[in-house]
Amino acid sequence: MSDIDWFPLRLSIQVALMATSAVVVTGVALGWLLARRRFFGRELLDAAVTLPLVLPPTVLGYYLLVLLGRASPVGRAFESLTGQPLVFTWKGAVIAAAIGALPLMVKSSRAAIGAVDRDLEDAARTLGQSEWRVFRRVTLPLAARGIIAAAMLAFARSLGDFGATLMVAGNIPGRTQTAAIAIYDATQSGRDDYALLLVLILSGAALLIVYATNKLAALR
Amino acid sequence: MLRVRIIKKIGEFALDVGFEAPPGVTILFGPSGSGKSMTLRAIAGILRPDSGAITISEETLFDAGRRIDIPARKRRVGYVFQNLALFPHLSVLENVEFGMGGDRASNRERALAIMESLRISQTARRRPRDISGGEAQRVALARALSSGPRILLLDEPLSAIDEATKTAIIADLKAINREMRLPIIYVTHSREEAITMGERVIVYERGRVIATGEPLAVFRAPATASVAKLTVADNIFEGTVITSSAEGGTMSVEISDGTGACRVEVPYGDAAAGQRVRVVVPPGDILLATEEPRLTSARNVLTGQITKIEVKSNHTHIEVLGGVRWTVSVTREAVRELGLATGNQVWLAFKTHSCYLLDESA
Repeated sequence: MSDIDWFPLRLSIQVALMATSAVVVTGVALGWLLARRRFFGRELLDAAVTLPLVLPPTVLGYYLLVLLGRASPVGRAFESLTGQPLVFTWKGAVIAAAIGALPLMVKSSRAAIGAVDRDLEDAARTLGQSEWRVFRRVTLPLAARGIIAAAMLAFARSLGDFGATLMVAGNIPGRTQTAAIAIYDATQSGRDDYALLLVLILSGAALLIVYATNKLAALR
Repeated sequence: MLRVRIIKKIGEFALDVGFEAPPGVTILFGPSGSGKSMTLRAIAGILRPDSGAITISEETLFDAGRRIDIPARKRRVGYVFQNLALFPHLSVLENVEFGMGGDRASNRERALAIMESLRISQTARRRPRDISGGEAQRVALARALSSGPRILLLDEPLSAIDEATKTAIIADLKAINREMRLPIIYVTHSREEAITMGERVIVYERGRVIATGEPLAVFRAPATASVAKLTVADNIFEGTVITSSAEGGTMSVEISDGTGACRVEVPYGDAAAGQRVRVVVPPGDILLATEEPRLTSARNVLTGQITKIEVKSNHTHIEVLGGVRWTVSVTREAVRELGLATGNQVWLAFKTHSCYLLDESA
């Protein structure tokens, strides 16, 4: 088995890492906004952020294609800046994976930040701290455990994205074919051993991450 | 001088208060839910009033009309929260240093000096969850003082600690008050704390100020029935005027409660015979004797049996059944020297002018 194609797995890990870093920043920001600020349409925003969790991945992929495609304003802007299109590249896969992982990140961050005693934040304010410093010195450290657990779940979710990634990034072996897509491809073309290998690796990784997340949550 | 005049509605509850607090300890006294903590939060800038104004010295912190609302971080208000709100992820020392603006070395030096003066240096490296309630209270105080506040807000600072520690912290607070002469707003629902700590007391009820004055004056001679209910609680009796003499300056009133009835002489209060009145006798104004006092200027002498002895922080409550159920406040030494015990017969003596008629109109 020396000629095993590791590219899909490597790509999946890269995509998942990048998607997770993007989603941690936006997810924590949105989670804080939802947990700590009252504004018109707050629950609507929460619902919109949750949508990727319940929509069929193809619907999500369709939206992303329309939004990011070469004819769209975003797609055109990106292409004129970088000389490359966004869709049908690994960057498209990052965006698809990130959107899929965002609800997990936002929901968990909102819960973790919401669980921080507001009196502690108010105490920091009376001690002369700006809103940003209150967040950085009080809210974030106290919500850190929940946020790290959420980031791990977001990584696991990004690692295995299939539908949206297939729609947005396509199935180009050696370029955009992630592990999840490679499994589909392998079963379709009768390479059952290869499919099984990737299935076992992805399952093991997911199990490990969820186990570690639960452990982290149980720590006091 | 702190000046507060604010209105804030939250749901059904409306806070509508105004008061001034010069340097020294001003007590906000009242039952829970009467708006005391809300007032502190408004002064600190973490709750925005609907209208009104808050000023310290000549500086406006909040003025709804002029659209001024200085953010909490710029108000320089030291706030000790009811739950203390110590940062659980930081050490005690880091908690105290949290709000200091200087460089690291000078912050540490000042923090340690403040902690030294409050005798909590030994806790510096520990986490808040690993120190005692009394220590935590002092850490919260040290943290509030460390940022150089212009005013100190204390929300029930002694509610969760034992009597011995309370006495020590009261001494600390008095020392801070003497040295710094800041306006200190002290929220409590304990009469003992109000009398021990307060230079002025402001009595709250359902979001309004119902009395203001020196603690002893407010507590000994409550002006209205609603103030008395909050501040005295003991020895409030319903009664009927039997005889009334404007010339003599006294009235004879038959008072009663569930246990019985008796007659007392109270100051003349513009009430005719047959009229219903309410009488309050502060527990500290009643003399207690183990023999019948024969020569006394007290116009009220009653006898009864001790039914309960209850030791409080700095005094003892004796319950006596003599016509009605009386509460008498005496010192622990008195209990010991007189050999007071449940079941003993005792005599109660109090002056006419220790009886207060409650104004029912307010």
